[in-house]
Amino acid sequence: MTTTKLKSKTYMNPYLAGVLLGLVLLTANFISGRGLGASGAVKSVIVTAVDAVAPGHAENAPFYVEYLEAHPKPMKSWLVFEMLGVLVGGFLSGALAGRLKFKVEHSPKITSRRRLIFALAGGILFGFGSQLGRGCTSGSALSGMAVLSLGGIITMAAIFGTGYALAYFVRKNWI
Amino acid sequence: MGPLAANEIISQDTNLIFAFLIGIGFGFVLEGAGFSSSRKLAGVFYGYDTVVLKVFFTAGITAMIGLLFFSLFGWIDLSLIYINPTFLYSAIAGGVIMGAGFILGGFCPGTSFCAASIGKIDALVFIGGLLIGILIFGEGYALWEGFYNAKFLGIPKISESLGLKDGLMALIIVLVAFAMFWVGEWAEKKFPREEY
Amino acid sequence: MNSRILLAGFLIPMAMIIAAVPSNKTKQYKLTANQLLQEAVSYEPYIHPDNVADMLVQQDPSLQLIDVRTPDEFDKFSLPGAINIPLSELLADQYVDLLDQGVKMNVFYSNGTLKSNEAWMITRQLGYSNNYVLQGGLNYWAETIINPVPPASTSPDEEIAKYNFRKGASMALGGDVDTKSAETAVPAVPVITAKQAKKRVAGGC
Repeated sequence: MTTTKLKSKTYMNPYLAGVLLGLVLLTANFISGRGLGASGAVKSVIVTAVDAVAPGHAENAPFYVEYLEAHPKPMKSWLVFEMLGVLVGGFLSGALAGRLKFKVEHSPKITSRRRLIFALAGGILFGFGSQLGRGCTSGSALSGMAVLSLGGIITMAAIFGTGYALAYFVRKNWI
Repeated sequence: MGPLAANEIISQDTNLIFAFLIGIGFGFVLEGAGFSSSRKLAGVFYGYDTVVLKVFFTAGITAMIGLLFFSLFGWIDLSLIYINPTFLYSAIAGGVIMGAGFILGGFCPGTSFCAASIGKIDALVFIGGLLIGILIFGEGYALWEGFYNAKFLGIPKISESLGLKDGLMALIIVLVAFAMFWVGEWAEKKFPREEY
Repeated sequence: MNSRILLAGFLIPMAMIIAAVPSNKTKQYKLTANQLLQEAVSYEPYIHPDNVADMLVQQDPSLQLIDVRTPDEFDKFSLPGAINIPLSELLADQYVDLLDQGVKMNVFYSNGTLKSNEAWMITRQLGYSNNYVLQGGLNYWAETIINPVPPASTSPDEEIAKYNFRKGASMALGGDVDTKSAETAVPAVPVITAKQAKKRVAGGC
């Protein structure tokens, strides 16, 4: 029980963190007129990579063409800079709290290998879903809620609803 | 006055610098709240740790109320804020797939970057998965392009679709959020985990 | 536990306030009432009929006369090349590009200057520039350009020159223009390059 206490103390109070995150989101809207995001930055990386590796292919596939038309320099986008900031901010917070450590976090009931396979599968699904849903939890659900976007709230409900629906089947991974 | 970038009060390049600073704040808060731990994140689905629910909805309602007050004071022109367009089918299907990804992978894109920054290897693998997932979407775009663009509803606000005032909608969301926090704290007591 | 109640104690009343007050639907005007007063005091929106007549004679393409009277009045009499935007229609979407631009010089006119002044005020408050008011309105235009009073022969040379100019302009512009003169002294309306409207920020995750 003591360990739990110590652990929860090292993390910020969730409501305080929520208010701070809300203020960050408010600042983003006030300064840049947009919410936070994450998967868009990964998309920029993919489009840049495809364009560099197979430029002919990027010019033919409509997905890349549309994106490159709208963003001539995909790496010089708001989300890419924001995500670089996230890496720095996360590192700073982890360093201050003494949480910097290379490790694979998993339930004691499963192996690291199993955890990594599931992480990869989850990543693939999330990457695919974020494109289909036009934004991930931060871009669509969180930022969408702040501006009362109908689509954002629908996506949020679908994410959490599916999470709860499937939670039972993979409970061994987590608890 | 706001949004500063849309009103050309700051230049596009300055906007990118602010993006970086905002990202630092985003990453710092996510990590500080414990979003760099996949088991903490997944806890929301089992009730043993509802930090995701609390942080996520507190942030959402804080920003929402803040934006409405900013608009009331004339500090920000809400019509210039980006609101994601609603394509009904892809919003639901995308959300369902993301939900599956969340419970399997334990992260969402933002938190995976945050976790990777403090050395979580599972987060790095998750990011690798994100890259593959987006690549698959891009490569097979022709297959689901029709579905992706189906049932376009414009860029409605939930308040408009329900015929409510923005402020009233906000109040309802705030009350729902606090009801969920209450359930969340009850669940944390009911399904405690000592060590994870 | 405590922090949740603390937060609820703060956010729920805030949400109640926001639910209770009417939402701010006003457009964001660029000028406050004070700034507008400053503008009105220090800034000269009036263009003298002589200058307008000169531009008309020169067929200056940068001049755009805007008649803010009713369509009936406009049909009965209007200045050459003028377009009709009744004051009540001033804020209609179709005129935004015309009124909010940086290329042409819009000159509002009405019979007196009441309506044209109002039009100028409103566009100024919206932050549009390049809008002016015909000094004295059509009444003064009639006095100065259409029926100029011959100066006494003892007047200074410049008075006489002015009279001659007005006389000439009056003739060039069709004298007492009862009907819209078929004369093509009307400058062709150049294409207005509208200022790029502010856009919603493009975004997405």
